[in-house]
Amino acid sequence: MFKKSSPLQSKSEIILRNIVVAAMVVFFMLFLIIPIGIAFAGSFHEWNPLSGTYRFLGFENYKEVFTSALFGKSMLNTLIFSVVVIIFRVGLGLGIAYAIYSSLVKYKSFFRAVYYMPVVTPMVAVAFVWKFMYNPQIGTINQIFGLDVNWLMNPKTALIAVIIMTIWKDFGYAVVMFMAGLYSLPSDALEAANVDGASAWQTFRYITFPLLKPMTLFVVITSIISYIQAYVQILIMTEGGPGTATYLASYIIYDEAFVKYNFGYASALSFVLFIITAVFTWLSFRVSGKEE
Amino acid sequence: MKRKVSSVLLNGILLILGIVTVYPFFWMLSSSFKQNKEIMALHQKFLPQEFILSNYESMNAHFNFLRFFANSLFITVVVTLLVIYTSTLCGFVLSKYKFKGREFLFSVVLSTMMIPWCVTIIPKYSMIQSFGWMNSYKALIIPAMFSGFGIFMMKQHIASLPDEILEAARIDGANEFYIFHRIIMPMAKNGISSIAIFQFLWTWEDFLWPYLVINDQEKQLLAVGLKMFNGQYSTDYGALFAATAISILPVLLIYLFFQKQFIAGIASSAVKG
Repeated sequence: MFKKSSPLQSKSEIILRNIVVAAMVVFFMLFLIIPIGIAFAGSFHEWNPLSGTYRFLGFENYKEVFTSALFGKSMLNTLIFSVVVIIFRVGLGLGIAYAIYSSLVKYKSFFRAVYYMPVVTPMVAVAFVWKFMYNPQIGTINQIFGLDVNWLMNPKTALIAVIIMTIWKDFGYAVVMFMAGLYSLPSDALEAANVDGASAWQTFRYITFPLLKPMTLFVVITSIISYIQAYVQILIMTEGGPGTATYLASYIIYDEAFVKYNFGYASALSFVLFIITAVFTWLSFRVSGKEE
Repeated sequence: MKRKVSSVLLNGILLILGIVTVYPFFWMLSSSFKQNKEIMALHQKFLPQEFILSNYESMNAHFNFLRFFANSLFITVVVTLLVIYTSTLCGFVLSKYKFKGREFLFSVVLSTMMIPWCVTIIPKYSMIQSFGWMNSYKALIIPAMFSGFGIFMMKQHIASLPDEILEAARIDGANEFYIFHRIIMPMAKNGISSIAIFQFLWTWEDFLWPYLVINDQEKQLLAVGLKMFNGQYSTDYGALFAATAISILPVLLIYLFFQKQFIAGIASSAVKG
């Protein structure tokens, strides 16, 4: 046996390391740290690139955020949207994954591949498909169910319609994740439960589900982060309307920044949203009792 | 017997959910071969009564969709290849080399995954303007060259490769560039394929960034083109269906072809992460 070589660095290691570290530092300075700094500074200014305004306002933008009725309404919408979609995503994902995992289902990879299809299709395109499906004139949804609802134009149904579309698009991701979780479970725990005569439900409730907790947490956290940032379906399907019925928080930022060019106010909104994301992520770690 | 009943029941439910999942795709595809009067008919049939291709012709005549498609493909392939390379390289250095500031650098990389798009997009947009990169593919490629997610994934992945192989290669006199390209890259194949998948999807479906930085219609990408098309020809339903089908089907075909690798890659990201 020869001794493990000493941590002496070769010349090529130092060169490679220096190149990579320098490239990373430059890139993340330029496209992450500096932009965050600019946005933070901008959130205290009236900043409009069209009129060339950049005027110090202090906390005015933040005051406006917290007193804005539209922002309040959009946070409520975002909350409803996220909670409902996450419940269905986790519920459907877990249920379907468990069903496919069971010995009763044969074509496991077929089902998994089918449910995953909407996840890989571009959001802009599927949002259009659903917009057409909801259309009272040409849509297929009213035709199938014999309804006469103007889904996207009615303030009572518009948010529900967007939620249904998002669940359809995203539940397959949770199916794949939970299946990966199920197949990585230690089989001896499940066998032991079988030997002890536990029913299928008992096995799920007391063994499988607790073991899947880390995966559930992963799905919930990634969902929170992505739904707080969701706006494409709104942009395509409703543009926030009718009225303010489907304004989501991120859609307001898009609207303020790139329709109205209120860069300062949009930056303030962004930081508020950032903090909300961080708080929710931290909370879900706490709730699950698994701090990392 | 009971087992048989529950098997039928379970498979039946999964099948119904499967039909719900694929129905919108088939409806869109079928409608793209219908005449407008059939699309707007009071009682619709699922399949076209009269099968026509003119929607696809009129779509491409109004709007150069094949051009958008080629642009999107070009940008997506370039960005994906770059991200694969930079992620593997940074992952290698961050996992196998020990140096001061490594942990800090890695925590910056991690933080990129937590920061919402909206925080940095306004300053990035202003920066691109002041660099004079507007309407140039530089604006789409350069700010996307490094991916925090990709570096994170590759660092986890390469850390699990045994150090002994590197030591052996070093004793044989291989330099680090050789080790990276000839040993690490091939051994990191699984990690690379999952990054390739994610990055391809994200770049392909990105809407806002190309919408902001590209003004020239000839250079525009597919997601933005589709929205512009819908804005201008909002009543030519047949052509709209054809345009939507063109933006979805190629991706779906690629997916169906590679679905095993897709799903394995995506699942491994979570099990490891």
